[in-house]
Amino acid sequence: MIASALANVFNPVCLFLIWAGTVIGIIFGSVPGLSATMAVVLFLPMTFSLEATRGIALLVGLYMGGISGGLISAILLKIPGTPSSISTVFDGGPMAEKGEAGRALGVGILYSFIGSIMGILALMFISPMLAKVCLLFGPAEYFSVAVFSLTIIAALSGKDMLNGLIAGLTGLALSMVGMAPIDTKVRYTFGNYQLLNGFDITVLLIGVFAVTDIILAGFGRKTLSQHLEQKKYQLKGYGISFIEFIQQIPNAIISSIIGIVIGILPGIGGSTAGLLAYTAEKSRSKHPEKFGTGIIDGIIASETSNNAVIGGSLVPLLCMGIPGNTVAAVFLGGLLVHGINPGPLIFDKSGVYVYGIYFALIVASFCMLIFERAGLRIFAKLLDIPKHILLPIIMVMCCVGAYSSNSRVFDVQCVLFFALLGLLFKCFKIPSTPLIIGFILGSMFEENLRMALQASHGNWMIFIERPISLSFLVIAVVFCTYTVISNLRAKRKAELEGKEYHEPEEGEL
Amino acid sequence: MTNKIRDILCAIIVIAFGAAMIYYVKDVRRVIRTDVGSAFVPTLIGWCIVVTGACKLLYSIFTHMKEESKKIVFDQDMFGGIATIILMVLYMIAFQPVGFVVSSAVYLFLQMLLFSEKSNRKIVLFAVIAVVLPLAVDALFVYVIHMPLPVGVFGF
Repeated sequence: MIASALANVFNPVCLFLIWAGTVIGIIFGSVPGLSATMAVVLFLPMTFSLEATRGIALLVGLYMGGISGGLISAILLKIPGTPSSISTVFDGGPMAEKGEAGRALGVGILYSFIGSIMGILALMFISPMLAKVCLLFGPAEYFSVAVFSLTIIAALSGKDMLNGLIAGLTGLALSMVGMAPIDTKVRYTFGNYQLLNGFDITVLLIGVFAVTDIILAGFGRKTLSQHLEQKKYQLKGYGISFIEFIQQIPNAIISSIIGIVIGILPGIGGSTAGLLAYTAEKSRSKHPEKFGTGIIDGIIASETSNNAVIGGSLVPLLCMGIPGNTVAAVFLGGLLVHGINPGPLIFDKSGVYVYGIYFALIVASFCMLIFERAGLRIFAKLLDIPKHILLPIIMVMCCVGAYSSNSRVFDVQCVLFFALLGLLFKCFKIPSTPLIIGFILGSMFEENLRMALQASHGNWMIFIERPISLSFLVIAVVFCTYTVISNLRAKRKAELEGKEYHEPEEGEL
Repeated sequence: MTNKIRDILCAIIVIAFGAAMIYYVKDVRRVIRTDVGSAFVPTLIGWCIVVTGACKLLYSIFTHMKEESKKIVFDQDMFGGIATIILMVLYMIAFQPVGFVVSSAVYLFLQMLLFSEKSNRKIVLFAVIAVVLPLAVDALFVYVIHMPLPVGVFGF
């Protein structure tokens, strides 16, 4: 079975498809408005005519390239190309401003590769064990996971926790628009049928992270040409020394584990993995104050974890047919089209294809490592395009991206709505990241809360009676309390020293 | 606007938003007996927003805030910002009826003109980019990806 899979993958046509998929995926991931999901969706019909392993290999390349490519625009433009790269912006953006864009990109690519390989190893060797644990999860556990994930809002809120809370709650509120889970009751649509399915996450991301910045550029248009002169970089190898590489091993391992675990848990995805790993590394670091000012630790945490999600998300997908995130959901569609039915029996019935996926993932990781690095100069050329030309082009691409997510103009108009919301947040100094986290976790939070309460006949004790659920809730409380106390201590210390307390937050990058 | 007024204004908007959230789900009825209903979580979040807003309001009123010396970005070029928003609104209104190619070409040209200064204003280059880019993107979507973009009244 393994030999057949090897023969299927290591032939010129299949290798070419993986290479092409990875390169196209990188382009889709790097251009704001395009995404890994879009790449897989758009190329899915092209795989229909291909042999199953080749078709899946192309999709694997697109998935891998698409997730990794997001770091390019996150660093060069401070606009995450994919939701997974949100936390790469926090330190990648400042590094680019300091003239270290090349180093940031090199490190990002290297650790994307490491994260991918760690994820694939988990998929290959630990998947049966993790799948068994996942089978124990019910609505109560998923609700507790959502609560735990929401507590990172507290850690990301910087100096003003109330503002962070407002942003997170607004994100949760936005996720309530449309048909409710379970009984499909319509809420907050105001008679507009286009809102029945709620807002699209891509549209929200494009609006808040990309278009808001373009509007802000309008307010500061006189400084647009000044920014261009600061952008210089040098890069040797992957921008990291051997000593730094050794020092970053714990960061890479912890971030990989976070990415794998988040990947396995359905519905969370790379963006939350990146943010969690970033926060975990910041909390663990001896110099947390440097996070957000342009250090490689943040990029490593973000990129390692969001790429480890790829392998992790395929664990429940292959073993149970549950997609870990949006791209995995599309990937699941690709498997079904080719007659591969995910589930506990997949290893017996379609073992050749499963091993084919493993080998294709490994080849795609190496393609990403080599060709993303080799093409860096071309990607970096984006910096040379004057911002007064580049920003309007990005705006057009954002509109195209929003339109193509559901083929409706309503989404394009929603982009402007969210851009103006982002502008209002900037005006009131409210961070945008908790808004996204709240939005992503909103439906998971509500659906599982209601399902758990239904199962327990309205007994709220279900959340603390189940050990896994209780563990997540306890971790959430401890994490939140620790963050609040740390922030207050830092504030008090700064006041005693007569300095103004200032913690960098994503809104200030 | 001082920091204090800004925060008070923010808190009032937040409280109003939370109250509206609670108000607009008040008529959503529970259909499954063992379920908490579709209004429960929005109402809970609405109340959380109102309480957070109230905390922010009290904190803003009773805390002395230092004024920042740094000029915020909105004060730098009000005309540029407002004009950018108006251009975007017009672009999004025209996206469907006028079509992707024409609306994008006009938007691109005007936005580049607005963002540029006298020293780097290259009208011919802007015009070429404004025409070529939408045509190239449209061709990519129509002939390669097979996902047509809005054509509008001009038929392209």
